[in-house]
Amino acid sequence: MLHTRVTEILGIKYPVIQGGMAWIADANLASAVSNAGGLGLIASMSAGPDWVRKEIRKAKELTDKPFGVNIMLMSPHAADVAQAVIEEDVKIVTTGAGSPSPYMKAWLKNGIKVMPVVASATLARLMQNIGATCVICEGSEAGGHIGDLTTMALVPQASEQVSIPVIAAGGIGDGRGVAAAFMLGAEGVQMGTRFVVAKECNVHQAYKDKIINAKDTDTVATGKRLGHPVRCLKSPFSRQYVQMENDINCTSEQIEKLGTGALRLAAQEGNEEKGCFMAGQISGLIKKEQTAQEIIEEVFFEAEQALLQAQKWIKR
Amino acid sequence: MTFQKVANLISEHKDIKVEEIKQDTTFESLGFDSLDVVELIMVFEQEFGISITLNEGLKTVGDVVKLIDGNN
Repeated sequence: MLHTRVTEILGIKYPVIQGGMAWIADANLASAVSNAGGLGLIASMSAGPDWVRKEIRKAKELTDKPFGVNIMLMSPHAADVAQAVIEEDVKIVTTGAGSPSPYMKAWLKNGIKVMPVVASATLARLMQNIGATCVICEGSEAGGHIGDLTTMALVPQASEQVSIPVIAAGGIGDGRGVAAAFMLGAEGVQMGTRFVVAKECNVHQAYKDKIINAKDTDTVATGKRLGHPVRCLKSPFSRQYVQMENDINCTSEQIEKLGTGALRLAAQEGNEEKGCFMAGQISGLIKKEQTAQEIIEEVFFEAEQALLQAQKWIKR
Repeated sequence: MTFQKVANLISEHKDIKVEEIKQDTTFESLGFDSLDVVELIMVFEQEFGISITLNEGLKTVGDVVKLIDGNN
């Protein structure tokens, strides 16, 4: 068993959090991950508070284990959703795309544990200052919105700067990745792409198939020109996007418009032409659909083996 | 006063000459991506003891100064 401050603080069996992936992370996936001993997350994305409340209530019916809600701070509904999680008695929140400080006081007062996703060691330290419970340090290997630093560079530097537990994210898809993250100073991991192919994940089958068939070089970071890069699988959509980014005659508005709604088209409709299939660089390692339970047990069996065997390199 | 402090913080955290930072300088023209902006907003929050939500349409250094002065 891997026992860390993360398992202790969150009250979970395995130190793994499921990524808060928009249009993918619903009550179904979150409860499956939580029932398997990890921490499931519902992604609030740009949804209004009513949808989020419905998913929270559904998850509570499906699991009696802890689960959390990921709050996208750029959402026009962020303030309403921030209040809804308090009223629905959610105990764990992760945040992305901004500073959670406007909501920190209310969350902490209500006993909510807050785990911001960050892409730099400075941000990790600033989050600790405002009362974060843990920080999720996400490297650019991850799918979806990404920063510049890789997990390999970010996790040890963030670990140096904070005393709260660091959870590593980006590029972790099996037990070797978990073991490596622990060596870098993490006490838990967040996995996204691996859970997209979970049997309990409601995403369109074409999305799962694209991840299962992907190889190591099949992702690309789009959106750099707009200042908010997104990693997704290469597809007709990503090719057109990159082409427009490189074309000086294309305005930022035109590019922005192309991306609008593209993730939903991928996740719900499996639209191969216009969909944006967000996925991490570790996609090439993911070969089959499994239940959340099978994924977690396999990953942590491998992680323990990797950590136990690590001594073989030391010559005494 | 607030402007000078904001300019100094930007200069210190993002390694930009303080003379290059004016009231109407946009974050975009300084080459900041969304993560740089979040980082700076958190620095401002902690230095000035305020909370800033991201949908307040902060485009220029002057926008930030105005917001901070409005809070105090």
